[in-house]
Amino acid sequence: METKPHKFCPGCGHGIALRALGQAIDELGIQDRTVFGCDIGCSLLAWDFFNVDTVQTHHGRTTPVMTGIKRANPDLICIAYMGDGGGYAIGSQHLVNAAGRNEKITVILANNTQYAMTGGQMAPTTLPGQKTETTPYGRDVEWTGLPAQGPEMVAAIAPEGAYVARGTVSKVRQLQKMYVRALLNQIEGRGFSFVETLATCPTNWRTNAEKTWAFLEKQMPEYFRVGELKVPVTTEETLKSADSRRRPEVLRKASRRGEEE
Amino acid sequence: MRVIRIVEAYVGEYASGKSEVAINRALELVRTGKPVTLVDLDLVEPCYTLRPIKKELMAQGIKVLAWETRGTVGFGETGNILRAEIPWALKRPGHIVFDVGYGVGGARTLELVAGIDREPSFQVLAVINTRRPMTGTVADIVEYVRNLAPVHGLINNTHLGDETPADAVQEGARTVSEAGRRLGIPVVATTVVAEVADSIGPVDCEHNPVRVLRRYMPRAFW
Amino acid sequence: MTGLSESTSANRPAARAGSSATIPVPGEKRVFMTGNEVVAWAAIAARADIMYGYPITPQNEVMHYWTRLAPKFGKEFLQTEDELAAGFTTIGGVLAGKKAFTATAGPGNILMQEPASMAEMMRLPVVVVIMQRGGPSTATVIYSQQEVILTTFGGNGEGFRIVYSTSGLQELYDYTIKAFNTAWRYRFPVFVLADGYQAKMREPLTIYDPLARGMELVPPEQYVGRPGMPGVDRPPGHYRNTYNTEEELYEILQGHVQEYERVAPEIMEHESLETEDADLLIIAHGVVGRAAKQAVEQLREEGLKVGCFRPVTLRPLSAGALRDAVSRAKRILVVESAYGQLGKLVRDALCGLVVEMFSLYKPGVGVTPEEVVIRSKELIA
Repeated sequence: METKPHKFCPGCGHGIALRALGQAIDELGIQDRTVFGCDIGCSLLAWDFFNVDTVQTHHGRTTPVMTGIKRANPDLICIAYMGDGGGYAIGSQHLVNAAGRNEKITVILANNTQYAMTGGQMAPTTLPGQKTETTPYGRDVEWTGLPAQGPEMVAAIAPEGAYVARGTVSKVRQLQKMYVRALLNQIEGRGFSFVETLATCPTNWRTNAEKTWAFLEKQMPEYFRVGELKVPVTTEETLKSADSRRRPEVLRKASRRGEEE
Repeated sequence: MRVIRIVEAYVGEYASGKSEVAINRALELVRTGKPVTLVDLDLVEPCYTLRPIKKELMAQGIKVLAWETRGTVGFGETGNILRAEIPWALKRPGHIVFDVGYGVGGARTLELVAGIDREPSFQVLAVINTRRPMTGTVADIVEYVRNLAPVHGLINNTHLGDETPADAVQEGARTVSEAGRRLGIPVVATTVVAEVADSIGPVDCEHNPVRVLRRYMPRAFW
Repeated sequence: MTGLSESTSANRPAARAGSSATIPVPGEKRVFMTGNEVVAWAAIAARADIMYGYPITPQNEVMHYWTRLAPKFGKEFLQTEDELAAGFTTIGGVLAGKKAFTATAGPGNILMQEPASMAEMMRLPVVVVIMQRGGPSTATVIYSQQEVILTTFGGNGEGFRIVYSTSGLQELYDYTIKAFNTAWRYRFPVFVLADGYQAKMREPLTIYDPLARGMELVPPEQYVGRPGMPGVDRPPGHYRNTYNTEEELYEILQGHVQEYERVAPEIMEHESLETEDADLLIIAHGVVGRAAKQAVEQLREEGLKVGCFRPVTLRPLSAGALRDAVSRAKRILVVESAYGQLGKLVRDALCGLVVEMFSLYKPGVGVTPEEVVIRSKELIA
C-alpha cells in the first residue's frame, strides 16, 4: 500500500501503529482480502486511510461486526481496530466473548490511557493519579480501581490457539512482528489474536515530545508489561513457513535493516 | 406376567401432541378405578402445558404434578423449575403418566425421576405427527426416534388441527408404521379426534387400534 | 501449505455433513407448525445463509429449529453474547454479502435498536424478526403489541426501515421470505413484527419453495471482500456512519428520504374488509387484526355496517388507503394490545381529517373477537 499523510495529531501513536499494521498486511500479502473495522474514537480517523475494505462501526461494536463478517466469509482477514474504551469499557463484553469463543479475528487496541477523541476523559487504562477531564484531581484507585489489564484478561480467557501480546509504538519493529504474528494466527485459522498497543497522545496528555516519550517508555510500562503473553505452540513452525512466503523484497529489506529486536 | 401398574412417558417433537395424548391416556386410566398421577416434565420453554388446566383435570380425578401458572411468577422467565414432588412421582400409588417436554435431552429427561430405571412396567411412547416437517418422512422419524432413546412404542398422532382429513391420518399411519418396522418398535395406537375417528373405524389401515382424543390443550396456553 | 481454505472449510457444517440439499421443501406441503418454527423454515426457503441470535422468550424456537436444520442445508449459526452483538454480527453478515438475519423480543428489541440505527444509516439489508412480549421492562414472556413504536421508530433516526406485521402462521411464512427480498432489493433494514401468540401457536399452513412458485429471490451482494485488489482492480469499500458537518449529514439523509419516499408505494401493504360503506371502521394489526376481521363478519351478519382496515406494513404505513377508508366512515375504532401505539401511527397518518376516534386498548393482553363486537356495538348505536 502506498503511504499518505494521516489526519491524526502530531505525535499520535495511531500513526505509528497503523503504519506498522499496513506493513504487516503488505508483508503477508493479504491486502486484497483484508477488512478493517474501526471504532468510535480516534481510530475512526483511519476509516478511509488504507486501500482495504473498511467499516466504521458503533462504539464498542467493532469486535462483533468483524466477528459477523468472519463467520459469514471466513476467507476474509478481519481486523478490529479500537481504543481503550471500545475494547475495555463499552466493548468489553464483546471482547471477552469473542476471546472465549476463540473467534478467528484480530483485535488491535490502542491504549493511550484516556478517551482522546472526546477530550480526554478517564478510561479503564488511566494510571493512578493521572489527571483527566473526569478525574481532575487524579485517578483515585479506591474509587475507580486500577488500570485494566486487558491482554492479561484475554490471555486468561482465550483457549489454546489464541495469540495475545502487548506492544508499544516506542518499539516499532517488535510491534510490527507482533502484528504479523497476530495476523498469521488468523490466516492459519488457529484462533483469536489480540495485540494491545501502548500509544502516545500528547494532545490530551498535554506533554511535549520529551515528556510524551517519558510517559510512554517509563510510566506506562509500570502498569502495562510489554511482551507476548500467549503464543500458540505451533507459532514457530508457522513463522518458518511464513518466512518462506515472505515477498523477496521484504526479506531483502529485513536483512539490510539487520537483526530485529 | 400381571402388570401391577402402568407407568408411561410420552415423548416426541415439539408440538407433536404429547400433552394431549398423555391427558387422554390419564383420563382413560382413571376409569379403571386406580389412582392416576399425571406429571408435567416440560422443561424447555413450557407454554402449552398442563399448568393452566391443572384444576380442570384434578376435578376429573387425576392427581396433577405441575405448577399453577400464577405460582411460577418470579421463578425466571418461563418458570420451568422442577417442582419438588416431581422427582418422587414413582412413590405415588397407581398409574403414572409423564408428559415429557421436547428438547435435546429427549427421553433422558426421565432420569430426573428417582427409581425410573427400576420401575418394572415403564414404557416410553413417542408421539408423532407426520404433518410436522421435522418428522414428515420415514427417514426423519427413524433418525428422530433413535435420538430420543430409549423408546418402546410409537403413536401416530398425525393431524392438521381443525382441518384434518381422514386420509391424512391414514397416510400418517402408513409412514409411522413403516418407521416402526425399521426401528423394530411397535405402533401402539393412532390417536384422533372423535369426528375423524368415525370415518376411520376401530383400527387404521395398518391395523393399529384407534384411540379417540378429546381436546384439552387449546385451553392450556401458558 | 496449510491454508486458510483448508482449515476454514473443515468448520463449515455443509462440508462436514457432505450435504448437497438446498431446498427443505421441494414443492409445497400442507403442514401443522408453530410460529417460531415457521420463521426458521421460511428463512431456509428464502435461501438465508446465516442466523445470529441470543436466547429470549418467546422466540427461542427460531434458534432451536434453525440450529437443527442448519447442518442439513449448509447454513451457519452463531449464538452471540447479547442482542447488541446479535444485531452487529448480523450487520457483519450482510456486509460480507450473505443473507443474514436475527430474532428477538422485548428487552432484546430495545438493545437491537442500536444496531438497527447503524443499519438504517448505512442502508444495510438486515432482517430482524420480533416476537412481541409484555412490556415495558421484563413484564411477561407471553404476548403484546407493545413494541410497535420501538420497532417502527426505535433508534436515533427517522425510521427509514420497513416493518411487516403478520397476523398468523401463513403470513409469517410468506412475509419472512418477503423480508429478505425487500431488504436486498431496497436496502433498508426490514423487520417482521409478530408476537408471542404467533410464536407459539399451532395451526395448519402451506410451506413451499418460493422458486417453485415462480417467485424471484433477490440475490445478496458483497459490501466487503469483493474480488480484486482494492485501489488497483477496484475501489476499496470504505463504509462509515459518521459525518463532520450538519450539511454533510443533511445531504445524506435527503438521499435516504427521497429513496424511501420513492419506493414506499411499492412496499406498503394493507388489507380491507367491508370498508366501502362502513359507518364504523375498525383499525387493527397483527393477530388483533385477525380478531377484528372475525368481529366484522359477525357484525355484518347482524346487519351492522362495520368494516376493518388492517395495515400489513406499519412502516411505511398505507396512509393514502387508510385516509380513503376513514373518509367514508363516521367513527373509527383503534384496537390493539398496547396503549395507543398503533393509535399514534394512525393519528399521524390521518392528520387533517375530521373523524371521531375511539379505542380499545389492552396493553399486554389478547383481544377476542367478542370483545371487539361488544365495543363496536357500543359505538355504532
